[in-house]
Amino acid sequence: RDRRLRVPARAALLLTSSAVNRIKTLLQQRPECVGLKVGVRTRGCSGLSYMIEYATEKGKFDEEVNQDGVRVFIDQKAQLTLLGTEMDYIETKLSNEFIFNNPNIKGTCGCGESFTM
Amino acid sequence: RPVLLADKIHILSSRQSRVTERWFSVGQESQTAAPQDIVFLSDSCVKRLQLILEKGEALRVQVEGGGCSGFQYKFTVDTTINPDDRVFEQDGVSLVVDSDSMEYLKGGTVDYSEELIRSSFQVIHNPQAEHGCSCGSSFSIKL
Repeated sequence: RDRRLRVPARAALLLTSSAVNRIKTLLQQRPECVGLKVGVRTRGCSGLSYMIEYATEKGKFDEEVNQDGVRVFIDQKAQLTLLGTEMDYIETKLSNEFIFNNPNIKGTCGCGESFTM
Repeated sequence: RPVLLADKIHILSSRQSRVTERWFSVGQESQTAAPQDIVFLSDSCVKRLQLILEKGEALRVQVEGGGCSGFQYKFTVDTTINPDDRVFEQDGVSLVVDSDSMEYLKGGTVDYSEELIRSSFQVIHNPQAEHGCSCGSSFSIKL
């Protein structure tokens, strides 16, 4: 008897099409990198902030998100924090940045960079 | 081991004198090269503005209330220049600061920081600002 619930696996991180395009252009400039790595750090006035870096390989405990030919690795410590988050890229004349629409957070700093769980 | 101790005292005193020297020279530089009512543009800021600004446009920096440290910087692209504005031009691009914001910005540098997660304009080395938020967009005033 198999009593385990069969829940479809939810993507740990969703990328918008603008984020996918941006990551593609970033990685074209860095042929030695296979993807981006997303993590969180204890920093900022609300406790935590996101961190992105280039990844040359998939870490042992990283969760891999593969969407539209783009690979994003999620740091082990950030996997629960980021579950169900949408990663967007917004470009304006004065700035461009990756934005995380995270359903798990309780509040953010005024600048939007740091957040609390 | 009296020799070691003497060495230590010597090292300590020479380092102290070096620190005071450096402080002194920095103080002199900022007095001569930086008259206090100027806002500087960093090289990366000038380069970025040369890319994004069209003819007749300028980058306006404002200081307004808000953010977790009390004040925050706001950057906009503007085409009108008001009578109380100060305009700083460098290599063909201009930065506009109104007189109220000038009080909180003078001596600071506008920089364009490019990181993987975000690229944006920031004010750095602002002598009017106490330690701010880590994002750099919010700060408190030195009293």
